Amino acid sequence: MSETGYDKKLAREAGEIARLLSYVLILFASVGLFLSAAGIPTSRFEKLGAGAFPKIVFAGIALVAVIAIIDALRKIPAGAYGRFAAQTCAWARRRYLVFVTLAALAVYLILIPVLGFSIASFLFILALELVLMPRRPATLLIAVIVAAVFSFGLNWLFAEVFTVFLPRGVL
Amino acid sequence: MDSFLSGVAQIFTLATLIYMLAGSVAGIVAAAIPGFTVTMAIVLTLPLTFTMEPLQGIAVMLSVYVGGYTGGLISAALLGIPGTPSSVATTFDAFPMARRGEPGRALSLGVWASFFGTVISTVVLIVAAPPLAMFAVKLGPWEYFSLIVFALTIVASLVGDSVIRGMLAGLIGLAISTVGADPIMGRPRFDFGIEMLVSGLPFLVVLIGIFAISQLTSEVEDAKSVRSGNALVTGAIDFQTWKVMKEVLLRPVNLIRSSIVGVLIGALPGAGGSIANLVAYDQAKRNSKDPDSFGKGNPDGVVASEAGNSATAGGGLIPLIGLGIPGSAVDAILMASLMVHGISVGPRLIMDHADLVYGMFVAMAVASLMMLVVSVLSMRLFLRVAEVPKWLIVPVVMVCCVVGSFALNNRVTDLYLLGFIGVAGYALRALGYSLAPLVLGVILGPIAETNLRRALMTDADPSLFVTRPISLIFLIAAVLSIAWAIRGHLKHRKTSGRSTDASAS
Repeated sequence: MSETGYDKKLAREAGEIARLLSYVLILFASVGLFLSAAGIPTSRFEKLGAGAFPKIVFAGIALVAVIAIIDALRKIPAGAYGRFAAQTCAWARRRYLVFVTLAALAVYLILIPVLGFSIASFLFILALELVLMPRRPATLLIAVIVAAVFSFGLNWLFAEVFTVFLPRGVL
Repeated sequence: MDSFLSGVAQIFTLATLIYMLAGSVAGIVAAAIPGFTVTMAIVLTLPLTFTMEPLQGIAVMLSVYVGGYTGGLISAALLGIPGTPSSVATTFDAFPMARRGEPGRALSLGVWASFFGTVISTVVLIVAAPPLAMFAVKLGPWEYFSLIVFALTIVASLVGDSVIRGMLAGLIGLAISTVGADPIMGRPRFDFGIEMLVSGLPFLVVLIGIFAISQLTSEVEDAKSVRSGNALVTGAIDFQTWKVMKEVLLRPVNLIRSSIVGVLIGALPGAGGSIANLVAYDQAKRNSKDPDSFGKGNPDGVVASEAGNSATAGGGLIPLIGLGIPGSAVDAILMASLMVHGISVGPRLIMDHADLVYGMFVAMAVASLMMLVVSVLSMRLFLRVAEVPKWLIVPVVMVCCVVGSFALNNRVTDLYLLGFIGVAGYALRALGYSLAPLVLGVILGPIAETNLRRALMTDADPSLFVTRPISLIFLIAAVLSIAWAIRGHLKHRKTSGRSTDASAS
């Protein structure tokens, strides 16, 4: 066990399996898109049609993905697959802030057209700061000021100086 | 000569100089913040330059670029954390020097080395780019296609820890570039009935999602370090600006060698400052009379690393101006900013827009001078910047990303795309794919496709790709770069496999 409280070797194995899954996913996607590119009609004015270059690219992806899959299968020890689920959960728990951040971003992006840029940004910055910051009262004031400056202030700057109008919202 | 003067005149207007000054400050500040890379700073500058004249816009972005390579030095020297990947080697000697009670000397050494590195690389750029362009206009579509294949393979093999994932990333980038109307006939492809995709994925949104969002997300991976503060080097800081300038100039061999290393690595597609600083440092150490003092605060180490990473700025522009092929992700963004203004980037750039190219040369020189003045005068203030905690940076910069992606087209759908690409980018990063080949793939895709199809429209015989000598050379070089990378990779795996076994037992 390492000092950070989890086994680096097991985590690396799980990482290899996750990569293997990504190769498989990429392989399927590239085969599917290759077939869809084959359906693009060709022009009689040129030898290669609009679909030719995508077909080359997707064939290339499929080929590299197959090599990657073979390489990964060779590297992963047999017992690693059984531990994969537990390792993935452990990984997700270690990086829970990543998921919180991405979820906050998703909610923020959906709320922008509803609440308007200024209000949505203010809420987003403040909420994310509250999640990430060391919980001390002195930092709270800074957090609120920064949130206000980069939501309402940024909106003003873009409207007045760059004449770019950020979404207003329907409210 | 006329176009040179026209370029100079466009740079030396009050508005441009003020914008450039702001750009330098922004670049230094951004890079001084740990976790905020030069690439991110430039991506976020791009939307602000849309309303400017093309040369003005690119001058501002060059200032951010040059400033950014210096700013990384501040947190590298004072906190021992590289502010950007391109200042990793700077931490080796500048940090011990700062800890020893000479933080001012460490910073000044780095600033002067950066300045001379940029100047030397600008000189090389001015000498090398025009002849390269003269040569490149003679290339046909066959040579061009092979050149792009070579550029992509070398990117894939140089960046990151896995050749195979680098190649996959580059190919995925090419695949992304095929979405939307095809470049020759305008036939729609892969739009899946979604209106936004008909005109292709907006490049800027892809860039911001891939680089900025995924980088910011990976900053919060470690919950403990987010919530803790960093202690700064304390005590009086004496910069000794002029004394240090002499000190740097008294190491001409190291300075010039490191700059040349930076220029060469910068000119190579894919390898940028993040590799140059380590190579330059390594070279300086090997050639030193006293290699053991490296890592303990040897001024030669600081000079090598900073001159090396700053010199890549000029080096990276050589293939961009000469061939129309960006050498790194940052150069790809510079290229995108020209394309937004309707300027096609290729070997003809220097003939069709000579004033713009000369203006870029002048802007590089002016930017390095500004960087020097700004850093010398206000280094004390920038020390504060390195203290800005992550919990402030992450949400604020994310909002800036959103503004940047929206400002290009004023479309709310672009924001949804940003979210989607950000998540995908983070997933790829977490799985160990390097993102630079992907971005180069996106920007080089249409050029590769156009040249490939044009070649076969000119002459239907595909064997011309291997029978035309220059084209053949590029293709052989592409195969060699992959083979070399795989060989190096296998070697590395053998040694690292042995060492992990040893530690496990």
